Amino acid sequence: MAPRLSLPTTARLPSSLRVNPSTASIIKVLSRLSRPSLLSLVLDWLDPNNQSLCPPLLRQPESDEEDEEDEFENDLYPPAHSLSELRELYADMQTRKGSRREVVDRILEGDWRRGLSLYQLAMADLQYLYDHPGTLKWACYKIQRLQTPGHEDDVEANRSYDKIDKTTMHVPRFHPSTFLQNLQAEVLPDVKAHYNFDRPKGLPLLLLRIFVLDSPYNTDLAVSAASGSTSSTARTVTSFDASRTIYVAFPDASPHIFVSKSQSAGPTTHAETRSLRALVVEGIPKALSRPRERYALKTVNLQTKNLDAMLSLRGPGRSNAAAGGWGVYAADKTADARTHSPLNPLLPTPPLSDDTAEENDEQVADLGNQETTTRKRTLDPEITEQEKRRKRARLVAEARFGDNAQIDDGKGVERVDVLIEDAFPIHAADLEGEIDGQEEAQQPRSRKTKGRRSGVDASLLEEAERDEDEDPEQQRRDQNQETDAPDENPPRVAGRQTREGDRDRDKWAWRPNVRLSLHGPHVFAGIRQLVEAGVIDGERMPGWMTGEEGVTMGAVRNGRIKGFRGSGL
Amino acid sequence: MGTRVSLSPELSVADRLHDEIAKLRAQVESLKGDVRLQTATLMTADSTRQILQSQTTGDRQSRASEAVKQRLLERFQEQSAHKQQCLYRACATITTFKVNDPDPNAVDGGNVLGLRFEIMSKAKFVRPYYVMLNRPYTNRRYVRIHRHTVPQCIPLAGLAAQHLPPPAARNDEDPPKKQDLSRFARALRRELVRYHNRAAVIGDMKKAAGLGAKKASDQESDTAIVDISAADAEANQISMQWRDGRSGRLIMNNDGEIVKMVVQGDNGQDRETVRQFLGGAVRVEEVTRRLESH
Repeated sequence: MAPRLSLPTTARLPSSLRVNPSTASIIKVLSRLSRPSLLSLVLDWLDPNNQSLCPPLLRQPESDEEDEEDEFENDLYPPAHSLSELRELYADMQTRKGSRREVVDRILEGDWRRGLSLYQLAMADLQYLYDHPGTLKWACYKIQRLQTPGHEDDVEANRSYDKIDKTTMHVPRFHPSTFLQNLQAEVLPDVKAHYNFDRPKGLPLLLLRIFVLDSPYNTDLAVSAASGSTSSTARTVTSFDASRTIYVAFPDASPHIFVSKSQSAGPTTHAETRSLRALVVEGIPKALSRPRERYALKTVNLQTKNLDAMLSLRGPGRSNAAAGGWGVYAADKTADARTHSPLNPLLPTPPLSDDTAEENDEQVADLGNQETTTRKRTLDPEITEQEKRRKRARLVAEARFGDNAQIDDGKGVERVDVLIEDAFPIHAADLEGEIDGQEEAQQPRSRKTKGRRSGVDASLLEEAERDEDEDPEQQRRDQNQETDAPDENPPRVAGRQTREGDRDRDKWAWRPNVRLSLHGPHVFAGIRQLVEAGVIDGERMPGWMTGEEGVTMGAVRNGRIKGFRGSGL
Repeated sequence: MGTRVSLSPELSVADRLHDEIAKLRAQVESLKGDVRLQTATLMTADSTRQILQSQTTGDRQSRASEAVKQRLLERFQEQSAHKQQCLYRACATITTFKVNDPDPNAVDGGNVLGLRFEIMSKAKFVRPYYVMLNRPYTNRRYVRIHRHTVPQCIPLAGLAAQHLPPPAARNDEDPPKKQDLSRFARALRRELVRYHNRAAVIGDMKKAAGLGAKKASDQESDTAIVDISAADAEANQISMQWRDGRSGRLIMNNDGEIVKMVVQGDNGQDRETVRQFLGGAVRVEEVTRRLESH
């Protein structure tokens, strides 16, 4: 190919741009795929519809035969004559056993020796993502509409037009191609990006892969720096690193977006990745905005590796603001619709009524060990007692978690971080014991909260500033309520009761800085299992431990996550 | 060899038995359901009440039957209460109920008011939508949305901000706004119903264009339109795809009136198709009717 004239431009990188197959990162991208998925990927590439974006090297049909033969005579992987021949070849490889190496070599040194297009790279990357869904960590952002200034003078007078318009009746809409066009305009001219949209199977979302290169050109020059001069090799290697790839997921019918956090600890510095991500996160709301319709992104303190969990908490369904035990109201199957139809004459059997409890018992008996049932019949008082307790714990777990947080529902979040801002309970030490029993990372420090000496009002103000969602009224209510209705609800967490005693002590109470960090494949299912096993007292367990707040990070005040997160508003 | 041969029929016998057991279990379940249904029907009948009450006046019964009667009467009352509730749910479509928040730290002692919205779609009641409200504010009757099952495409946050504003903070100069729960409920129901109606209209249009079932589209390969689908979350926009590559977009407002329609052909905008497609229609239903008649 003759070198063409390359001018710096602001256009995006074309999908058909080819990357030299000897680049280390390409080999890495391909060789981390398994053989079956690699082969299915190649067959996708060979689809007639994809020929403009990923053409393999084929023999010229009507050229000088002898010359061609000479050219490819000593070739390990001679090019095929036609597309269908090549497709058969790879389909053959699918049925045959072999190594992954063989396929990678064939791709890089044979059929695509002239280079893989960026589109192919994107497909390979996405394939890896689908094969290993837990490799990326996603952060959720909410798309919120900003107030439209009523008049030009308003804009000049003050900056209040950056407020979030809470009364809007408009649900943000997302149009992929317009969005891309606008996003490209937001990206700096010395950075080139390649965008690829894909719809993963089985997930109601649209995935956008953004791959960024540091180059002012959008031609071969952007990707061929490595082969040109040895001095720039290192730079190109970093520029092809996975950390330069950002995924943005747009769930269907939901005003949220999920942005991937880079996991790779490659040669790129953290700051670089972070700034790149910040650039994209900043650009997204601008790309979504239109004249007189501006949006802002707001983080919702939800981070997880599991897209399914993300979708159940911020997706298109009904379960967004009804997590945990409230999930019984969100069940949306046809059977549920029938049971909850007003035309159903049957008396409702709530999940914890006697009927279902009996059924559960039957199920347990069915489950096999008749020995336990017979032993139960032998009237050993201790065992019956134990049995009763277990049943009770199971029922409590059912009440607190509903149908959610099952270990096999595939909606596990792997990490939950909570900062507890409640005063230290003085009378009852068992609250602390309860927390102690289940968390590994508890770091009580003697540092006291900042607003401690400044009196209630000052600390309230600070609180209000710290969390704009939190209504100051909320705190005031809590302060007052303690004097108003001390014995409203006796079975409360001990910390609450302590503070109900007197306001003075609350004002001066010791607030240790306690951070909880829960890790595991499915944190809330783990808590549920502990409740079922009787390790955690399910009735006194605070609500955020059921996952009903829908966040993975939060500060706890008065036993609740601050900011009414669970309502999803 | 002999053992193997004898094993396989044995296995199949076991399998068959398992199948049979499963079938019988299913039968038992359905029969149980029938019994429940019949009981419920009997229990709500007026004649049952008469019998039960007449028996209570008679005094020849033994104590055992007295107890049974009492239980039946209780059951009857439960059932008729349920019947009345169902009647309200079906006719009033917005009903309230009380929930107790299981969270020990819940505000207001865990008192939660639930709103239940019955929505009908495709001649069926869909699973009701719920909005739970609690009162986290001091000494006031101000409510706040605690949990809900309303989908994201309904602007619930906006409705709540309009009709259920939080009490004014101390430093706020604005006079405190009043909350209006019944208006909120009505507005939300309106949004829900409109959303379902828009979705239904799109479904109808699909059917009218011969795209309803897969079989139909196979048979009538001469249909000009190959795809009709909702293009956005709120089901306000309909995207259409013609066989010859033209694509169109119809925008309706919340009430189903046509706002705008654009068709993009090979050579830019295709106004002729728009004119043909709409035919002076004001509402989307009229377009559906036109499609049906063609």
